[in-house]
Amino acid sequence: MIETAAASKRWTGLCKALAIVAASVFAFSAPAQAEESGLSIVAAVQNQTIDGGVATKNPVAGVLISVTTATGSPIGEGTTDSSGTITINVPEKDTYVVTIDVSTLPEDVTLIDESKTQSTIEKDSFTTDTKRVTFFAGSSTSTGAPLFDRIAQRLVDGIRLGLIIAICSVGLSLIFGTTGLTNFAHGEMVTFGGLIAFWFNVLVGVPLLIAAPLVIALGGLFGLAMNAVIFAKLRKRGIGLISQLVVSVGLSIMLRNFFLYQFGGRTRPLDDFSLQVAKDFGPVNITMRDLTTAIISLVVLVSVALYLQKSRTGKAIRAVSDNPNLASSTGIDTQKIIRIVWFAGGALAAMGGLFRGLDEQVGFEMGSGLIFLMFAGITLGGLGSAYGALIGGFLVGILVELASLVVPAELKNAPALLILIIVLVVRPQGILGRKQRIG
Amino acid sequence: MDIIKILENTISALFGIDAAYFALAAIGLNVQFGYTGLLNFGQAAFMACGAYGLGMTSQYFGVGMWWGILIGLAFVVILGLLVGIPTLRLRADYLAIVTIATAEIVRLVVRSVQFKEYFGGSDGINSFSKSFRDLSPFDPAGQYGIRPFQYSGYSFWTMIVGWSLVALFSFLVFMLMKSPWGRVVKAIREDEDAVRSLGKNVYSYKMQSLIIGGAIGMFSGMIFALDRGSVQPDNYSRDVTFYVLTALVLGGVAKVRGSVVGPMMFWAIYVFSDNFLRELTKDKPFEIFGFGLIQKSQVGPVNYMLIGLGLMLLMTFRPQGVFGSKEEMALDGR
Repeated sequence: MIETAAASKRWTGLCKALAIVAASVFAFSAPAQAEESGLSIVAAVQNQTIDGGVATKNPVAGVLISVTTATGSPIGEGTTDSSGTITINVPEKDTYVVTIDVSTLPEDVTLIDESKTQSTIEKDSFTTDTKRVTFFAGSSTSTGAPLFDRIAQRLVDGIRLGLIIAICSVGLSLIFGTTGLTNFAHGEMVTFGGLIAFWFNVLVGVPLLIAAPLVIALGGLFGLAMNAVIFAKLRKRGIGLISQLVVSVGLSIMLRNFFLYQFGGRTRPLDDFSLQVAKDFGPVNITMRDLTTAIISLVVLVSVALYLQKSRTGKAIRAVSDNPNLASSTGIDTQKIIRIVWFAGGALAAMGGLFRGLDEQVGFEMGSGLIFLMFAGITLGGLGSAYGALIGGFLVGILVELASLVVPAELKNAPALLILIIVLVVRPQGILGRKQRIG
Repeated sequence: MDIIKILENTISALFGIDAAYFALAAIGLNVQFGYTGLLNFGQAAFMACGAYGLGMTSQYFGVGMWWGILIGLAFVVILGLLVGIPTLRLRADYLAIVTIATAEIVRLVVRSVQFKEYFGGSDGINSFSKSFRDLSPFDPAGQYGIRPFQYSGYSFWTMIVGWSLVALFSFLVFMLMKSPWGRVVKAIREDEDAVRSLGKNVYSYKMQSLIIGGAIGMFSGMIFALDRGSVQPDNYSRDVTFYVLTALVLGGVAKVRGSVVGPMMFWAIYVFSDNFLRELTKDKPFEIFGFGLIQKSQVGPVNYMLIGLGLMLLMTFRPQGVFGSKEEMALDGR
């Protein structure tokens, strides 16, 4: 059994999570040194090792650190001392770039986030005269686990990601099917769910189990409002689908920046269920929280599928998706069906956002980061087909996680695009779509 | 509040370098979207082709600056084929999805540690603009022009080059659209099947349009990179494409003057609202009835919210923008 700190099962990796937590807790431990100009940057390099679930940090000495201005002219450089820090004086409060020379790190030590070789200090961030920057390194972490175990772990993570993508994209696909709209603002519906959950859980202090139904209901109302205020009006005015698509792009920009304006640029964890202990199931580890959300997701997805298959409304939704005019002429109230689809889509997206927020953290871009995977999923499954979205989203999640065994973590979404392109070349209608749609 | 300064900044933004590089990107996007009806949401990636083509001349290939145009063009063709081959036979929204996703992947690839050797990772590329600076006939320390149109020597030089390119490509696109080729692509926008029935290879025309528009966008990326003296991967995020699109729609799609005046207006409005909000929140947060509405640090997001809102309102109430005509818009989709 491995005991870890907060949010440790995020699939960005154990160490990175620890680094973020540690950075916020330990960032201010070095003594500020009074220097002649009074202003200085203190850079620290720390090596984290995890032993028996306890993270220890050791200073790394002899690493070359340089400070330049934003335009690249050098200010100063030096190597870290035995406490792992180096103080470099700067002339004024301005924007500086602190760079770590990775080649001077000890041989078995690499940066946890290898792309983070530079840290930019903004002028405004000099709240005191000393600004501290910490680079976190970790001795190689992925050793030991045999390939089979890694694949199994990735598969489990992929299933979880796939379930979330599937939940988020059912609405996207149904909205496309019933109205023809490719809604670029669907990712913001996911973000909405995550942020509302954060608001309830962290700011108001409502336990998540009570807040969750409210989040989902509010997500549904959000979708309903989006339709009523914007897209229903556009359809009524007879505005073309491409125009509607561009409007949804504008909406996405507006909402995303509204979230940024309200929430700020940081990602933050939810309060409840953030401390989890991973359970060992043979080769894979999964926390009870993740297992629970995965099971709930699966139940919800099966219910959605059954609802579409069996219930009267579900049949009507599929009929409208198939052919709105024909459905309308058989007496189905298309506008009502469209409202139901927007409500359900918004509710499911909010639920996806909530789960994603538990899985990772909540932030203003959490949904817009998923939208490519959602598009890849529904294209793979067949645009406009609800079952297609379920299957496609699920497959894309698994593939993205499995691909990260071979693809660097920064590019893990690239295979999803590759699928998108291959599907469009080989079988543009997707797995379950029909050919006449693609035209 | 310093109204005069705000107005000066606004007027100078009309002709600033930002408007110039946006205009180039918009001219390219106009060829694709306005004239051919291709919904290219990845113009930022074509701009990145230009910027990286230029940046890599010195940083990777070790050749002179002028090779940057050729390298950039090669990138543009590769990218155009990559997104065009699977999508140009399909409906417009497929192209939108694939281009926006490709643009994002391009950005992730060029900023990744894996390919740092070629593209410089998240630091980008910084040392390539010297030979361009050396070509400048102006004194880099001097100030040129009369207030409010006053710029430093180097900015003035990039502006002159930028706006010359805008003029050149405006003229070329204008002539191109008068030519038989232009008539074919406009006909494709109106009715693809009719064009096909006349024996034209629609697919090939669309591909040419995508690549021509991308190549013009490439010059936009180059001017931007030369002005900043650096190539930064995050300057080519997907939102850049959307802002260019907003500027184009504002001016009027399928009109050359729309694609030039639109970006000028876009930047004037943007700079005005940005300056205005910053002045408003300079000393204390902007409040209504004691309820803090906008803080200094929130000016950026509020501004971008306004851009998004503007795009929505434009598309709904005046899709033809200032100069466009409603008849010439491929907005019904199929």
